[in-house]
Amino acid sequence: MSQTTAKAAAADAGASAALRARTEVARLISYIVIGLGAAFLSLRASTLPTSRWEPLGAGSFPELVFGVLAVLCLIAAVRAVIDIRKAGGANRLGASLGEWLVARRYSFALFGLLVVYLLLLPLGGFSLTTFVFLLIAQLMIAGISKKTLFQSLIAAVIFSVGLNMLFAEVFNVFLPRGVLFAG
Amino acid sequence: MMLDAFLAGAHQVFAFDTLIYMLIGSVAGIVAAAIPGFTVTMAIILTLPLTFTMGPLQGVSVMLSVYVGGYTGGLISAALLGIPGTPSSVATTFDAYPMARGGEPGRALSLGVWSSFFGTVISTIVLIIAAPPLAMIAVKLGPWEYFSLIVFALTIVASLVGNSLMRGLIAGVIGLGLATIGPDPMMGQPRLTFESSVLMPGLPFLVVLIGIFAISQLMGELEDHGKGPSSDALIPDVIEFKTWAVMREVLMHPVNLVRSSLIGVFIGALPGAGGSIANLLAYDQAKRSSINPDEFGKGNPDGVIASEAGNSATAGGGLIPMIALGIPGSAVDAILMAALMVHGISVGPRLIMDNADLAYGMFVAMVVASLMMLVVCVLSMRLFLRVTDIPKQFIVPTVMICCVIGAFALNNRVTDLYLLGAIGLVGYGLKSLDYPLAPLVLGVILGPIAETNLRRALMSDADWTVFFTRPISAVLLAAALLSVIFSIRSVLKMRKKDRPATDEQNGD
Repeated sequence: MSQTTAKAAAADAGASAALRARTEVARLISYIVIGLGAAFLSLRASTLPTSRWEPLGAGSFPELVFGVLAVLCLIAAVRAVIDIRKAGGANRLGASLGEWLVARRYSFALFGLLVVYLLLLPLGGFSLTTFVFLLIAQLMIAGISKKTLFQSLIAAVIFSVGLNMLFAEVFNVFLPRGVLFAG
Repeated sequence: MMLDAFLAGAHQVFAFDTLIYMLIGSVAGIVAAAIPGFTVTMAIILTLPLTFTMGPLQGVSVMLSVYVGGYTGGLISAALLGIPGTPSSVATTFDAYPMARGGEPGRALSLGVWSSFFGTVISTIVLIIAAPPLAMIAVKLGPWEYFSLIVFALTIVASLVGNSLMRGLIAGVIGLGLATIGPDPMMGQPRLTFESSVLMPGLPFLVVLIGIFAISQLMGELEDHGKGPSSDALIPDVIEFKTWAVMREVLMHPVNLVRSSLIGVFIGALPGAGGSIANLLAYDQAKRSSINPDEFGKGNPDGVIASEAGNSATAGGGLIPMIALGIPGSAVDAILMAALMVHGISVGPRLIMDNADLAYGMFVAMVVASLMMLVVCVLSMRLFLRVTDIPKQFIVPTVMICCVIGAFALNNRVTDLYLLGAIGLVGYGLKSLDYPLAPLVLGVILGPIAETNLRRALMSDADWTVFFTRPISAVLLAAALLSVIFSIRSVLKMRKKDRPATDEQNGD
């Protein structure tokens, strides 16, 4: 019995080392992406015209900041490579990316919905687009049944039409009316 | 002069409509923080668009009452469910939860509420005493000292928050970088806008803030969704709060109460470190100095008092550098600062001189807010317990809509909404990779201040060495260097401790 637990613990430890290595690979990629972006922006800022009245022009500060960022990312990336090597390299990268995405499928689905919502908002106006967004998002999270459909409908009406009225009447903040209803 | 300003501020805070709004804010803060996964910061972000139409002091007072209420609300789910409602009530679960399980849920809650109240009041007293003289000194600082102060603030943020100094620094510098997009703060020359109309006006701080904190948090709430419900916690039907007896009990621990509050004030005043660190640190100190430390973790009242007084006291502490120096002590203070800027009030050491009624009004509002929190909690704590039952399907999408409204109402620009989406996705990515987000947000608000001071300094004297020859500036830069060295050392120490374990794993 104790042997099996020990084996399981060892397997767990191995798995967690592999997991750490994979997380470190993901971070390494982020260091590289951020570092390259920073290097590009730093170069771009250096082309801004210098000022005649002061030693630092408009471009000097961003050049400095993004330069520092690029150096920090380089150091972090080198350290990440060393750590990954120490952990014995990372395997099953593709599969673990898949697991990562599957665990977060609802998060990304919600974000996708948000993007579509934001794109349609100027067209459809606040009340209508928000109603549709809320209804779909709530049903996506709760699953579709008679009860959830009913609850979601009520919540969607309150927080679309209701919020719009609250902001317009009480706070004098006018949310987008939408091109469709502008006339 | 001071009394005049104090009375003028009090007069505005005690206006009937302000009190009503503050009461609503207080309830909203408690409710929001009682919902696990909903942080105090998020509650304040959502309050912000509602305060645009109010006067500056009224708006800030409402946000302060959400803030004070929020620090207490986290206690409810911490004590009864064992889940910290906000990150700043993690240590509260250590003793309040066992006490509640042990048959005294009312005592646990009342202890927390009273400790929060006294913690806030003590921190406000320190704030009133410390902020004006600090501001007097701060006005005399030149651009060299200011720039060095910001460098120091950012290194402290990076080393205190999160698990990695390097990622903290990277996040802080990303924030500084984001703030350089758009017109430059001195001459208005467009920078790094790539001729895009979205980037032309720069990245509005509040849109960055909502995207980075709220959108990423909401997306995070749905991770692992559908894996089955979490364990149900039992909330007893009858809870006896014994309000007054517990108040006496809290006052019977004056040393612990004052020590924890002062820890909270100090931690709150450090840029970037907020309630979550103060909560743990105050608890730890209480345990260390207790005569029977073994009792901690089993429902010891001292543990509850320390953790709750500690996190609530950061509210007043965080306002000290904001009011005196114009440097926010936490993300929440950064939002308060931004809210004042929306009203055209520049926050800095001159705030207390130019807008004394506003500064003193904020002090009054802190005390009023903590009193309201106390009254609301004592009268209706039971109702708030129901809040923890609201399912995610309602909270996540509706809060997201509130974020969208907040980002839009700031400038009435639809392009801000596209920025919100993009920044939200970036924030979620950074959060998933364990980058701390607070340094980034502070970087965005401190960036323009740092740049303006750096350029002013070099305009009056093009010599870089002045930064090291002016004594205060040199001390601040040395402190920045020390804080980095110190945290690198502690990381190395931790690695040494970990090494045997990793070697073993490699051997497998």
